[in-house]
Amino acid sequence: MIIKFILNKKEVSIDVDPMKRLLDILREDFGLTGTKESCGEGECGACTVLLDGKSVTSCLVNAVHIDGKEVMTSEGIAKEPIGKLLIDCFDEPNAVQCGFCFPGFLVTSYHYVKTDGEKNLDKIKKSLSGNICRCTGYQKIFESVMLACERKPLMNANERE
Amino acid sequence: MKSIRKIDAIPKLNGSWKFLDDYSYKGMIHGQLLYSTCHHGIIKQIHFPDGYDLSEFTMVSAADIPGENIVPEPVCDQPYMADKEVFHFGQVIMGIAHPNRKLLREFISNTSIEYEELPAITDIKECLDNEKNAFGRELTIDHRTGKKPDPNWVHHHKIYYTPHQEQAYLEPQGMIAVWQPKDKIMFVRATCQCPFFVKEGVEAIMGDTIKEAVIETSEGIGGAFGGKEDFPNLLAGITSLLSYKSGKPVKIVLDRSDDIQITTKRHPARIEIETWTDPKTKKIMKIDIDYRLDAGAYQTLSPVVLARGVLHAISGYSIPDAFIRGRLFHSNTPSNGAFRGFGAPQAFAAMEAHIDNIASDLKMNPYKFRKINLFKIGDEFPTTQPILEDHLSNCLERVIDKSNYSKKLKEFKEWNKTHKDKKGIGISIGYHGGGYTGNGEKVLNSEVKVVIEKDAIVKIYVSNTDMGQGAHTTLAQMFFEAIDHPREKCRIQLPNTSKTPNSGPTVASRTIYIIGNLLRKFAFKIKDELGFENLEGYVASNQNEFPREFRMNFVQDPSVVFDDENYVGVAYKDYSWAACVTEIYYHADTYQIELTKSWSVMDIGKVVNQKIATGQAEGGVLQGLAYGLCEFFYKPGYGRMHGFTDYALPTTMDLPEIDVEFIHNDSPIAKGLGEIPMDFPAPSVRNAFHNATGIFINEYPLVPERIYSYMQRATDRHRQTQTV
Ligand code: FES
Ligand code: FES
Repeated sequence: MIIKFILNKKEVSIDVDPMKRLLDILREDFGLTGTKESCGEGECGACTVLLDGKSVTSCLVNAVHIDGKEVMTSEGIAKEPIGKLLIDCFDEPNAVQCGFCFPGFLVTSYHYVKTDGEKNLDKIKKSLSGNICRCTGYQKIFESVMLACERKPLMNANERE
Repeated sequence: MKSIRKIDAIPKLNGSWKFLDDYSYKGMIHGQLLYSTCHHGIIKQIHFPDGYDLSEFTMVSAADIPGENIVPEPVCDQPYMADKEVFHFGQVIMGIAHPNRKLLREFISNTSIEYEELPAITDIKECLDNEKNAFGRELTIDHRTGKKPDPNWVHHHKIYYTPHQEQAYLEPQGMIAVWQPKDKIMFVRATCQCPFFVKEGVEAIMGDTIKEAVIETSEGIGGAFGGKEDFPNLLAGITSLLSYKSGKPVKIVLDRSDDIQITTKRHPARIEIETWTDPKTKKIMKIDIDYRLDAGAYQTLSPVVLARGVLHAISGYSIPDAFIRGRLFHSNTPSNGAFRGFGAPQAFAAMEAHIDNIASDLKMNPYKFRKINLFKIGDEFPTTQPILEDHLSNCLERVIDKSNYSKKLKEFKEWNKTHKDKKGIGISIGYHGGGYTGNGEKVLNSEVKVVIEKDAIVKIYVSNTDMGQGAHTTLAQMFFEAIDHPREKCRIQLPNTSKTPNSGPTVASRTIYIIGNLLRKFAFKIKDELGFENLEGYVASNQNEFPREFRMNFVQDPSVVFDDENYVGVAYKDYSWAACVTEIYYHADTYQIELTKSWSVMDIGKVVNQKIATGQAEGGVLQGLAYGLCEFFYKPGYGRMHGFTDYALPTTMDLPEIDVEFIHNDSPIAKGLGEIPMDFPAPSVRNAFHNATGIFINEYPLVPERIYSYMQRATDRHRQTQTV
C-alpha cells in the first residue's frame, strides 16, 4: 500500500505493509531513530510522536492510520522554537539521565507546553502520566517542564505557536 | 560542587545519540533467543513451524559451541545454552537469526518444544522455607560472646520476606556481533555495564576460533541498574556465535516480554531475625540473623550478592553479641543477579522492620529506640571493622528534624483517633560500602589512561560506562576541576576494550568513588610531574612533548585488610550513610497507601555535581519506595510478570514529593552514590503503615490485596479474642 503523509513538516510517501507499525516505519524506513521502542505495547511512552497534533504511542499505530496525516517526531520537535526551549530546560537542571525515555517526554511535554502551557504541577504530572522514566524519579522532569512554562511567555509571539 | 551540564543531554533529547538498536551494519541480520517454557525437564523434541524455508535461518545450540558452554561468572555454573536438560523457565536453548526481524519473531513464537517434565520449585516461599534447597558456600559472620542471654531480656523472633524486583531499564537488552574473519576478531557492540566482562563472555564461548573479542558500548546505554552487569555476557556469547556461523553481523534486541521473563532480577529473600533486648537500657544485646537468597537455578554472581547482604545485615546498630549466617537457595527460575543495592535492600528491609517491631513492643518512639542502638564512634561492625564516624547518626537527626517527625507522630496519633482513613510516618536508615568488597579492589587493580594532545585536549580512557548516571560527565569533571583545565578541552573515550584500559566494571558504586577519585589524584600527579600551573600554557610552550600518554593504577589503602575465609576485618574503606522519613495517607476503603512525602538525608562525601547527584538520588529513592509499595514480580497462582502491563512501575502520578539532601559534602573524598538511594527507603513505607494502622506486615510490596488480607486476619483475630 502506498501511503502519503507529512513527516516533520515534509511531504513523504512510501510503499509499505498497511499493518507495519508507525514506530518501525520511522526507524527503519526513514532512519529516524530518535523514536524509541521500550515496551512495544503502549505502556511506556518511549515511542511517543504527534499525530495530527495529538500525542500517540507509535508502537500501537499502523501504517493505514497515518495516510494523509501529519506526524511529528522528537527530531522535528527539536527544531521548533518550543522544542528548543524545552531542550534547554531539560538540560539546565541535568534532568536527562539514560535518556532513553526523553524523546518521548520531549514530545509529550511539547504538546503540553504548546497547547496549554500553564505552570501547574498537577496538570503537568497528569499530562506526562503516559510516559515512564525509570532513572529520574520524575522530579527534575517536572522542574524542567515548569521552567519551560515559565519561559514560554518570554518568547516572541510567532514562536509560541 | 559545580553543576556543569551533562555532555550527552542535548543529543539524547534531539534523538541523535545512538542506543544499541539505533546501530546498523551492512548485511546485518536479526537474532532472537529460543528459550525454555518448562521449569525443569528433558528436551524431547523441537518442532519448527511449517511454511518456512529453514535454509534462510541461522541456528546455534549447545552443540555448536567451539569454546566452553559455561558463562564466566564468580561461580561458573551456568551454560550459555541448555544441553538436553533445562533447569528453569527462560533458559536459552537456541539462538536463531534471519534477515527479517518480524518473520523471525513469528517463527520463534510458533516453534514448540516438547519436554519430559521433572519436578520444579518455582514459588519463592517453597524455595526459601526449605533448608534442603540451600546450595553453594555458606557465609558466616561470627561475633558471638558465647554467653547465654539474660532471662530478663526481651526476645523477638520474626521472619521477613522480600520479593523480586525488575530493573526495568527502559532500553531492553541488546547486542550486535560483527565477525571479522580476516583478523579473527569478534567485534561486539553492547549495551552493558562491564565491557571487559562481555569480552570474557565472548572469548569463553568462541574458544580458539577467534583471536580476540573487541567490545565497544553503544553511545547511549538506556539504563541498567545492575541488570546489564552479567546477562549481557551470555547474550554477547550467543550473538557472536550466530555471527560466526552466518558470517554476517547479527543484532539481537530482546522484546520487553522476553527481557522481563528471562533476565536477572533482584533476589527474593527470607531473613529470620532473633534478638534479645535489655528492657532497662533498651539496648539490643544479642542478635541472630539467618539471611537467605533465592539464587534461581544457578549461582552465577549470587555469592557476591550474598556477601554484601550479610555485611549489611545488621543495619546501623551496635549489638555486642551477633551471629549472621548467609545462604543461597536453589529454585527452578532464571538466575537472579545484580540490582542496585546488591543484597543490601533486603537486609535493611528486614532489620529496619524488626527495629520498629521491637520499639512498638517496648512502647518506644522508633526514633529514640534507634538512637540508643545506633553505631557510635569506637563501636565495631560484626566483622570487627571499627566505626570511625558518626555520620549515620547525623543523617538520622537531620531527617527527623527537617521532616518534623516527632511533632507529626503526635499529631497523626490524635488525627487517627477520629478518622477511618489513617496517617502514618515511618523511619528507615541504611548505608552502603563503596567499591568491591574486601580485597576485591586490590585484585581488580583498575587502570586509567589519559592522553594529552598537542592542542591541550585531554582524553580520558576508562572502561566504566555511562548508563544514565552521568558518570562520563562527572569523571571528566573530577579530572579537569583538579587542574583547572577548561571543560571543553576534556573528552571521554567511549569504552572499547581495545582502546580503554581495564578500569573495572561499572558496578558496586565504585565509578566515582574508585575511578573518579583516582582520576583526581592522577590529575594532581601529572601536574606535579610536568610542573605546570596552567596545562594549556605548558602544552603550548612544550609542543614537542605532546601528544603524551599517562597511565595510573588504583592502589588500595593499606588499612583495608579483609579475611575472606572468616569474614573478619575491613570490608569497605568508606561507607555512604543515609536516613529517611516517609509520610503516608492510608485510604481505608480501598486499602491503598498514598505516599505523601519522603525525606532522605545522605552522606555521600564530596558531591561533585550537585544536580547530577540529586537526580540520581531522586531516581533511586523512587525505585526504593516502589520496591516497598507496588512492584510485584511474582504472585503465587499467577506466576511471573510478562511486561510493563502487569509489572507496575511508578508513573508521574504515583510519587510523593521527594526531598533529598546531602550532608558532610565538604569531605575531600567522593563516596559511593549509585546504590545507597535504593537501599534504605522501602522500610520507611512499611514502618509508616505500621505507625498508621498498628498492623505489622513482614513482606513487600504493600499493595491493596496484601493489606486487605492482613486486615482480614487482624479482624478475625480480634473477633476470636472477643469470643474467648
Ligand atoms: S514502546 Fe510504545 S509505548 Fe512503550
Ligand atoms: S532517563 Fe532513563 S528512563 Fe528516563
